[in-house]
Amino acid sequence: MSATSQPSGLPILATDAHVNYIQSLDTKKDELDYWLTEHLRINGLYWGLTALHLLNRPDALPRQETIDFVLSCQHDNGGFGAAPGHDAHMLSTVSAVQILAMADGFDDLEAKGKGKQQVGNYIANLQNRETGTFSGDEWGEEDTRFLYGALNALSLLGLLSLADVDKAVSYVVSCTNHDGGYGVRPGAESHSGQIFTCVATLAIAQRLDLVDKEKLGRWLSERQVPCGGLNGRPEKQEDVCYSWWVLSSLKIIDLVHWIDREALIRFILSCQDKESGGISDRPNNRVDVWHTCFGLAGLSLLGYPDMETVDPVYCMPKPVIKRILG
Amino acid sequence: MAPKSKASSKAAPIPESKAEPPPETVGERSTQRFYKTNILQKRCEEAGLAALTPAEKKTYSHAQLIIPVSQDRVPLSTKAEREYWKQVSKENLPIRRLRRNYDWGHDRQGRQLDTYRLAEFEERSLKQARLAALDIVHRRFLAKRDKARKEGSELPAEDVAEEKSTRAAMAVLRKELYGKITGPLAQDPKWDDVVPIPQAEPEDALARIAYPDDYAEAVSYLRAVMATEELSERCLRLTQLVINMNPAHYTVWLYRFRIVKALELPILDEIEWLNRVALQNLKNYQIWHHRQLLLDYYLPSISSDPVSVKKLAKSETDFISRILEEDTKNYHVWSYRQYLVGKLELWTPAELGAAQNMIEDDVRNNSAWSHRFFVVFSNPREATPGSLPTATDLKVSTATIDRELAYAKEKIALAPQNQSSWNYLRGVLVKSGRDFTTLDEFTEQFVSGLGEESEDVKSSHALDLLAEIYKAKGDKEKAKLCLERLAAKWDPVREGYWKYQIAELEK
Repeated sequence: MSATSQPSGLPILATDAHVNYIQSLDTKKDELDYWLTEHLRINGLYWGLTALHLLNRPDALPRQETIDFVLSCQHDNGGFGAAPGHDAHMLSTVSAVQILAMADGFDDLEAKGKGKQQVGNYIANLQNRETGTFSGDEWGEEDTRFLYGALNALSLLGLLSLADVDKAVSYVVSCTNHDGGYGVRPGAESHSGQIFTCVATLAIAQRLDLVDKEKLGRWLSERQVPCGGLNGRPEKQEDVCYSWWVLSSLKIIDLVHWIDREALIRFILSCQDKESGGISDRPNNRVDVWHTCFGLAGLSLLGYPDMETVDPVYCMPKPVIKRILG
Repeated sequence: MAPKSKASSKAAPIPESKAEPPPETVGERSTQRFYKTNILQKRCEEAGLAALTPAEKKTYSHAQLIIPVSQDRVPLSTKAEREYWKQVSKENLPIRRLRRNYDWGHDRQGRQLDTYRLAEFEERSLKQARLAALDIVHRRFLAKRDKARKEGSELPAEDVAEEKSTRAAMAVLRKELYGKITGPLAQDPKWDDVVPIPQAEPEDALARIAYPDDYAEAVSYLRAVMATEELSERCLRLTQLVINMNPAHYTVWLYRFRIVKALELPILDEIEWLNRVALQNLKNYQIWHHRQLLLDYYLPSISSDPVSVKKLAKSETDFISRILEEDTKNYHVWSYRQYLVGKLELWTPAELGAAQNMIEDDVRNNSAWSHRFFVVFSNPREATPGSLPTATDLKVSTATIDRELAYAKEKIALAPQNQSSWNYLRGVLVKSGRDFTTLDEFTEQFVSGLGEESEDVKSSHALDLLAEIYKAKGDKEKAKLCLERLAAKWDPVREGYWKYQIAELEK
């Protein structure tokens, strides 16, 4: 076995460098970016922790501190803000639930936080009972991302019954496009990110029968460009994050074999910084935790050796989902 | 009490050693002063104790001995104390002398003050004096304002303006002298009643020094006014300040919308302001959500006035066109455009034309194709309301279908390998309910000599569609050949997909 490739001939994943990179994220407080991304702090923690789990290093972040930080972001209404003192929002609440699930912290949520039920109520109250959609917060911004996030978190909490799932499903169906994809609202262009949120929502609702799998799979597989990477929409540039949005959608409808697996693995690995760790959108660009998480999740879905298996619907380690959902 | 004259009958006068050069730094001056008040010290250091005369030796050692007593480190009885002072006086011992190694401290960069040149040091002292003087002026302002407020009035604007410049000057001095940052809000008397809430972060000196000052200050005032739910003019300006620095801060947008409503600000002015922010931040989606909130809020107030609605539609679509010039495939902008079309019922030739112009500019702009599809097939006057984009809709007229098919074909001819136009063609065909086989002649023109040496394929999408057409016509062999050539040569990256289609064919 050479130093630059796996026995399978695939390039090496710089696991230790990635672990170090993620561990160092919270120590970069002297950088402006750290403060400008404060509104994403808890999401960042979810991305980092997921990446560590997939690298089989779940203990690389201190567990109790992680749980305590998450609980310090919770409001009386049950929702979570992005950081202590930030308003509660759907997306940060979903990240909080996902982190607590990974860190096995639901007991802490009951004992020291406001409890599962309150979180579930917060999320369920954001549903528009007429259209089925969810808004991100009390201000009513509606987006299929929120709808997916809501069903994701509610199902992890075992409280899916609090939402009107049928209404949510029919909204997702109304976002279908002629090309087989889904957009952010009825009539909006198909976009891989939105497709993931819609298809994963249907998976949680156990309504994948509503997906035209062949048509969607065809559009999704068309996202692979000659360099091996995937783009998000026709005639757009490839980007590592679509290794997740496109690939997980293909996985959910069971059609991953419609793309060139090895070419995509090579593309993702060409975007890693082997010395300092982290993955970027395209080769030689600046790394960030977001692309790192989704690049690793993509590799895991493609069955890269020695990685934890990722669940395509939840973007979390499969054993965690199994522990929680049974 | 100054040390007494060096000339004493007991301690012999010392000849002046060679003239010292004048001190250059604070430290040097201190050292020189030290020796001036410790006359024998230098000679002793330079020549050694043995070189001193007996009288000098006695004075020197007595001088060393009195230190613990003069510093109160050795308590004496009253009588002994009296004796002690008598002796000091008699011997004329240098009791009030300077100590060595006085610590001047350091400045904000960590530089020791005793390395300052004298002129630098004087300048620093002057700044300190100026800061003290400004502080008096500042306190006078606070007192005056307190008094005025107790009497139910406010100070004139000139006073406030003057106070602002006082604080600005103080901020400069504080920063220069001590490295303390006073942000622009703390310098503005209008914010005096707000106690900023800084972010609670672990006590980490590094983090605190490096926190971007103006942003940190603005956000800490934002937290404070949001906590008290203040909805005022100054808060509106504060949200602008934060948005300029970090438009992705979603909370500040929501707060801004509340202020706009509470103050009943003209919505069109707010949109005007938003246009500038949007042009500077193309990738930000909070801006577009804010715009949608504004529109939802504003429309009911003008809905009975068709002229105003028309004007709004015009200014909105003008701005969208303007911003799409900067970023032709911006997802947030296009999705706002779809919202707008639905909201203002812009199922118009102009809207169709706008999408068409974008396609003419770049035939590969999938967003523009997608918008065209929406404007044509979701128009409630032409199509069945609620009909999904994937469903056949027989309400759409033959003329419309023919027009759209012709348009797609025309654009495919221009760029045969363009996914967007082929997808559009297929989409229209599904809407029309017509059979795919009707496209055979059109599609075949992009493929020739398949499987032969002269094989020429101008579009893999054509080959793909041909496979479907042949399959529908029952010609499995031809369909299979298309799929095999796709897998082998024309789209090998999707080999898995083509193999699946071949397997389907053989079922």
